[in-house]
Amino acid sequence: MLLYIHVPFCRRKCRYCAFHSLEMGAASAVRDYVETLLRELALWGDRMGGVPVTSVFFGGGTPSLLPARTIGAILDRARKAFAVQPGAEISMEGNPESLTKPGELRTLLAAGVNRLSMGVQCLDDALLHTLGRPHRAREALDAFRAVRAAGFQNVGMDLIWGLPGQTLRQWTNQLKEVVRLRPDHLSCYGLTLEPGTPLEDDCAAERLSLPPERAQAAMFLDGAEFLESQGYIHYEISNFARMGFQCRHNLGYWEGEDYLGLGPSAASTIGGLRWSNPEDHAAWTRQVDEGRVGTEAERLTPQTRVLELIMLRLRTARGLRVKAYRELTGRDFLRDHKRLVHMLHREGLLRIRDGYLRLTRNGMLVSNSILERLFEDTEALMALPADTPPQAPPLAAGPQAPTGLDGASSPDRPSRDTAADDAAAPSPAVPSASPPSPASGHGHD
Amino acid sequence: MPRQEHIRNFSIIAHIDHGKSTLADRILEVTGLVSDREKRDQYLDRMELERERGITIKAQSVRIPYTAKDGRKYVLNLIDTPGHVDFNYEVSRSLAACEGALLVVDASQGVEAQTLANVYLALDHNLEVIPVLNKVDLPSADADRVKHEIEESIGLDCTDAVAVSAKTGLNVDKVLEAIVERLPAPEGNLNAPLKALIFDSWYDSYQGVVVLFRVVDGVLRKGDRIKLFATERTYEVIRLGVFSPEIVDMTELGAGEVGFLCANIKELGDAKVGDTITHVDRPAEVPVEGFKEVQPMVFCGLYPTDSADYEQLKYALEKLQLNDAAFSYEPETSQALGFGFRCGFLGLLHMEIIQERLEREFQVELIATAPSVIYKIDTVDGKSSDIDNPSKLPDPTKIASLYEPFVRMDIHVPNDYVGNVLKLCEEKRGIQKNMGYIAANRVVITYELPFAEIVFDFFDRLKSGTKGYASMDYEFIDYRQSALVKLDILINGDPVDALAVIVHRDKAYHYGRALALKLKRTIPRQMFEVAIQAAIGQKIIARESISALRKNVTAKCYGGDITRKRKLLEKQKEGKKRMKRMGNVELPQEAFLAALQVGDE
Repeated sequence: MLLYIHVPFCRRKCRYCAFHSLEMGAASAVRDYVETLLRELALWGDRMGGVPVTSVFFGGGTPSLLPARTIGAILDRARKAFAVQPGAEISMEGNPESLTKPGELRTLLAAGVNRLSMGVQCLDDALLHTLGRPHRAREALDAFRAVRAAGFQNVGMDLIWGLPGQTLRQWTNQLKEVVRLRPDHLSCYGLTLEPGTPLEDDCAAERLSLPPERAQAAMFLDGAEFLESQGYIHYEISNFARMGFQCRHNLGYWEGEDYLGLGPSAASTIGGLRWSNPEDHAAWTRQVDEGRVGTEAERLTPQTRVLELIMLRLRTARGLRVKAYRELTGRDFLRDHKRLVHMLHREGLLRIRDGYLRLTRNGMLVSNSILERLFEDTEALMALPADTPPQAPPLAAGPQAPTGLDGASSPDRPSRDTAADDAAAPSPAVPSASPPSPASGHGHD
Repeated sequence: MPRQEHIRNFSIIAHIDHGKSTLADRILEVTGLVSDREKRDQYLDRMELERERGITIKAQSVRIPYTAKDGRKYVLNLIDTPGHVDFNYEVSRSLAACEGALLVVDASQGVEAQTLANVYLALDHNLEVIPVLNKVDLPSADADRVKHEIEESIGLDCTDAVAVSAKTGLNVDKVLEAIVERLPAPEGNLNAPLKALIFDSWYDSYQGVVVLFRVVDGVLRKGDRIKLFATERTYEVIRLGVFSPEIVDMTELGAGEVGFLCANIKELGDAKVGDTITHVDRPAEVPVEGFKEVQPMVFCGLYPTDSADYEQLKYALEKLQLNDAAFSYEPETSQALGFGFRCGFLGLLHMEIIQERLEREFQVELIATAPSVIYKIDTVDGKSSDIDNPSKLPDPTKIASLYEPFVRMDIHVPNDYVGNVLKLCEEKRGIQKNMGYIAANRVVITYELPFAEIVFDFFDRLKSGTKGYASMDYEFIDYRQSALVKLDILINGDPVDALAVIVHRDKAYHYGRALALKLKRTIPRQMFEVAIQAAIGQKIIARESISALRKNVTAKCYGGDITRKRKLLEKQKEGKKRMKRMGNVELPQEAFLAALQVGDE
């Protein structure tokens, strides 16, 4: 199982960001959050009983705003609650300006954090200002050196391309500068204008404008090509890593592993059930105190599982395993989608090799269009109802429950043993202890 | 006094919006038949749709008891007529059932082409016509000018024209007096064999087909065995009556009278407008003159937007046809659009009405292909056939000659716009036949035009080119040989049957280029380049391409994003349900109407 911990604080909200976060305010708010989080960890530990955890990811918000010893305390509690595996990947996101104190960094390392992901976003002060980032380019470079000096062996950077006013040349030059620092991992996100963000407002009002589509496409294609020439493997639409430095936690999402998300707004998917914690801190605290977190879940329908399998696997360079589709649906992907696959192949948007379908870089660039078609066709093929009513508590079912499909409603249900080696594979030992109280409400989302 | 002396059968002839329905309402009120608020406005217009469009599509008659100023009692039969050129034949049958007509002209507007056409129709049937100037209460009314116009253009004496305001009721009583004084009573031999003219019929789910008729000779009684001339079928009259305006059952109706009958007639097509009713036992020798089979003139393909709605569309078409024998449909299959129907209509308005009723009353979302007329072809093997779907036109090498329908059109227009009208008609391959003044500043222009050119964007352009001041009327004259070609549209090399059109050779290049461009602007970008070609036979005459979509990608998709991203994709997909897939290219509905909008740019 993957363990995600959401740290919902930021020094201030960036102008493009739609994630849930609060401005870092009174120390008491942080203290309350940490206390509730520790109780939530304990609660799940009691419910699930020492489930093996292969990765822990502190995301946010800005986790680096928490004192290093607090991170340590959270990890200690996580180790008590779950069987955090030796060699587990323990990642933390952080902003450059809060990753500079050598003492703090050493404490983090000692606490077990072994991977840092720095929100650099870009190395141009004017563009950083446009984004509303609280740091400057200089600080990012300093922070990177400080993190290395403190002894972190696995350090990644997040970058954004397609910024208002950014040119192709600026982007590629910036990548060259970044690569000179030899980070182990790079996430390069195309800027997405999220509804309701100040940056979106600016663009809608034409105070700012995004680079032309052609330039954006070139940023993606040329950037990826350059990074690969520098030894970075393009392993997911927006992610690059030196050999052996792929983010195992994130790969887990794309490969359909179970994940438990803690903290306000965090989402979880375990055994075919999905739920999200409330965004509101008070509501989240109340749920934790009353032992109700995760009791209102949506059971993923067989159809949803297929759609997500396709959507997530095609994000990765490895691609969608034809066999995984067959195991989930009892159907042949290449036959089901023959015309589309043929066309995508002819247009150079898709490749098939060793039983995997993967999108080429050009295919990745239009992956949403490809997925729309695949969704449409898959739904027609399965002709299943889009949703089933919300179900009882996530962990109320027997120990076999998380395996494979919600078989009762699917005629194409695979046998357990064939399902076992794949996406819908069982997370090693999910439920065993007493289930939480039955759900009363409806699934969220 | 002979029983017909007290009967007056009349219609009201008017241009749309000149106040026909309002005058009819006032007549019903003044005679006390319908109280002011007893019935909704415009009683005669039965369907909601008709009311919204302000026109009457189905004729209906009302029997109005009237006591004249001199104390004599009369029965007035108001026979309603549809007010659009698409329903010309029905109008002529309604007029054939009358002895007289009120010609209603808006005193603030003047004579319009359609009015004129219907007046001529009335005069052809030897009807006595009473000019009525309506809307005289309007400040812009100019009764003298309009009288002059009527006299000049129709040659109708307007000395005794009645000036009314149907809106306020002013002088409506004078109209009634004029009807009894000036219109002739019906003639006809009560003792002759039965001869009754069907001038309307409709389907009623309880009664079966309801037939409206005018008895020309003889007497029709309830229980009589009757025969219809056209079908030679026989029935028993099980119900006989009049609308006044509610149903009043009668035991008999004699020569000169108007009424309805029900006789267990199952299909509307069995009681055709214009057909003659006679007795089985003592039949009339000849029917009432002028019967003809009404043929659809305009065809288009109707397809359900969601192919799952095919059965529902079929059901809706069946239901509509029950009540509209002039409308035809038969199943067809299009590569691009799937399963649907080729439907025939009397004209463009008829087509619009049916499409709207399908969407409104039956909630079927439709894709309609561009309308087409019927072409006649002689093939080299010596055979002849009719083509109502451009994609069915045989290979040019197999065609010996091709014919298209022509109409004669009268356009009335203020002289300021004559230039625009001439330009439009010339552009539409028209042949000018006549042009002259009907009044000091109004001109009538007569053209012979290929009907296919009218089916495209003629009316909209006539309207915009004359600021809405033009009115027109047309009638079919004949089929003429033309240099026509089929223009195919190819998307990524594959012809799209639903986009094929038949055009004149001289216009094919221009049209092909314009259509390809229009499609380029209508079809959204896809994952790959899309080539749009216009071709005549093997020859490509225009080409446009839609460049590939460059970027449509979700940057982040981690644990907390999965549901939202999936739902976004599902929503996108829902939005595309209205798209039709042709090969791997997705075509929006608008693409199938592009052919109609080519002239817009």
